Amino acid sequence: MAKLLDKQRYKCALAAMQTVQAIERALPVLHSGPGCAQKLSESTGSSGYFSPNIFPCTSINEKDVVFGGVKKLNSTIENALKVVDADLYVVLTGCIPEIVGDDTGEVVSRFADSEKPVIYAPTAGFKGNNFKGHEQVVDAIIDQYLKKSDQKEKGLINIWADVPYQDLFWLGNIRQLEKLISELGLTPNTIFGYKRGIKNIDKIPHAEFNLLVSPWVGLSNMKKMERKLGIPYLHYNTLPIGATETSKFLREVGKFAGVDEAKVEAVIKEHEDYYYYLIERYADLFLENRVINKQFTVVADAQYTLGITKFLVNDLGLVPAKQFIVDDTPKNYRDQITEEFKKLNFGIEAEVSFETDGYKIHEEIKNHDYHGYPLVLGGYYEKEVTENLKGNFLNVSWPVQDKVVFDSFYVGYEGGIRLIEDIYTVAVSRFN
Amino acid sequence: MAYKIAIGTSDGVNVDLKFGEVKSFTIYSVEGKEYGLLEVRDVPEADTSKEAEASGCAPSGCEQPTQGCSVGCGGCGGNSSGCGGPGELTEKIAVIGDCRSVVCKKVGFQAQKQFEKKAISVFDVECTVKEALDKITFYYDKLDNHQSLKVNR
Repeated sequence: MAKLLDKQRYKCALAAMQTVQAIERALPVLHSGPGCAQKLSESTGSSGYFSPNIFPCTSINEKDVVFGGVKKLNSTIENALKVVDADLYVVLTGCIPEIVGDDTGEVVSRFADSEKPVIYAPTAGFKGNNFKGHEQVVDAIIDQYLKKSDQKEKGLINIWADVPYQDLFWLGNIRQLEKLISELGLTPNTIFGYKRGIKNIDKIPHAEFNLLVSPWVGLSNMKKMERKLGIPYLHYNTLPIGATETSKFLREVGKFAGVDEAKVEAVIKEHEDYYYYLIERYADLFLENRVINKQFTVVADAQYTLGITKFLVNDLGLVPAKQFIVDDTPKNYRDQITEEFKKLNFGIEAEVSFETDGYKIHEEIKNHDYHGYPLVLGGYYEKEVTENLKGNFLNVSWPVQDKVVFDSFYVGYEGGIRLIEDIYTVAVSRFN
Repeated sequence: MAYKIAIGTSDGVNVDLKFGEVKSFTIYSVEGKEYGLLEVRDVPEADTSKEAEASGCAPSGCEQPTQGCSVGCGGCGGNSSGCGGPGELTEKIAVIGDCRSVVCKKVGFQAQKQFEKKAISVFDVECTVKEALDKITFYYDKLDNHQSLKVNR
């Protein structure tokens, strides 16, 4: 059935090239039309050793549709191996080659003996969005690169979170998760960002377990690794922002990993003490009820909508209006995520809607009684509608137009404080 | 709707001629998925040296008229009033101007651009004439009937 996509919040599956790019010294090799990568490359912070402008691409045209693009793909991979110095080559297919039936897997298998690993992920746009594409790339690594290992390293834990580049704070967030895990005395292993790359991919099979911090993205990867590599997983579905959730998170991870309870509590206490010291210093600001809005709405992907809603209710005591999840969450995950919105402190439940139509979201925001000015945390699309309602707006999800984020983060105790700073900076600006 | 395909072949079996080498195009006519040999069209022999002189840019380095356009005279932009190269090219393209596509072993960049302007598809492939015709007619048939090219594997 045709579906309306007004104000799109994600890209096609081929945008998984961003996931590949987030792995240091991994190179996407695109089997697609020349315009695909161009359209998908518009995101800040994507230059570097490899940038989208130099990704090898077969640039297929009409001739390849009629006669097949296999030959071109073969020569593109062959020459990429000769010319570009990378650690891992990931062939990504666009819509056209998959529709006309190019056997990419067969071509890639010809390079099984090459010095550097070449793998491929089917990322045709008709298969889904870049959340799905991200999962395909991780799947490709599991299926085509990793081998099962019986040698387990004590305390080594793979951490998986949401989609690089799609999530504005991906780098800061995953570093912060690493930091929290290492404070429990465990050894975190992640594959994205600075100085991680192939050597950390190689460590994956030696981990004691996988830790997935996401409502749904990556869950299929965890199941695959459990089956194929024998690595059990802990699925923690809420992005921990602020003290309430982060303490809960540490306790659950500590329990799963068999960390001494006293040690976990000691870590929590140290963080909470400082966290509440900060909160206390600004209590006058929080208690001045004219500063902050009474009700809020989050319009973001599942991880932020859930994470921020829990944070604003549990830690800041705000009241949720309707929340929107715009990442086209697969239907089978929706019920379980909706349940999470009912588990808020003080018996509060939040209504949540899985909606990709920006017009409908904006109509609902306009028609809701926020008992004053609304607080809206969302993509840049929500800026105008919030301004028209004289509300406070903070850009937390893609697309991002009004801020630059290098390695800032919202995860953990410190991340919660950062989010409070950002929200209150917007709120107090009103009175200046 | 019937259409024609021009093929550069020396023996009628293999697509073995580059566009520049073609002295006569083999034209097939296609109706739906059925195709048949229509005719062989000769390319008129162009007196290239004369043309180059006439267009006035021979002294600036158009000793090789076929390449002169892109190399020698920066100003001629590939249109038909250029300096010999496109002139000859345009004439040759006009011979098959009523065709929907052209199939040759190789087709140069300038020629591809000229074909693009006339909305004639270029397929530079090395295969048998039969394979080329089978694949191209399959493709156009799907396209004309608004059917997906999707292959079930």
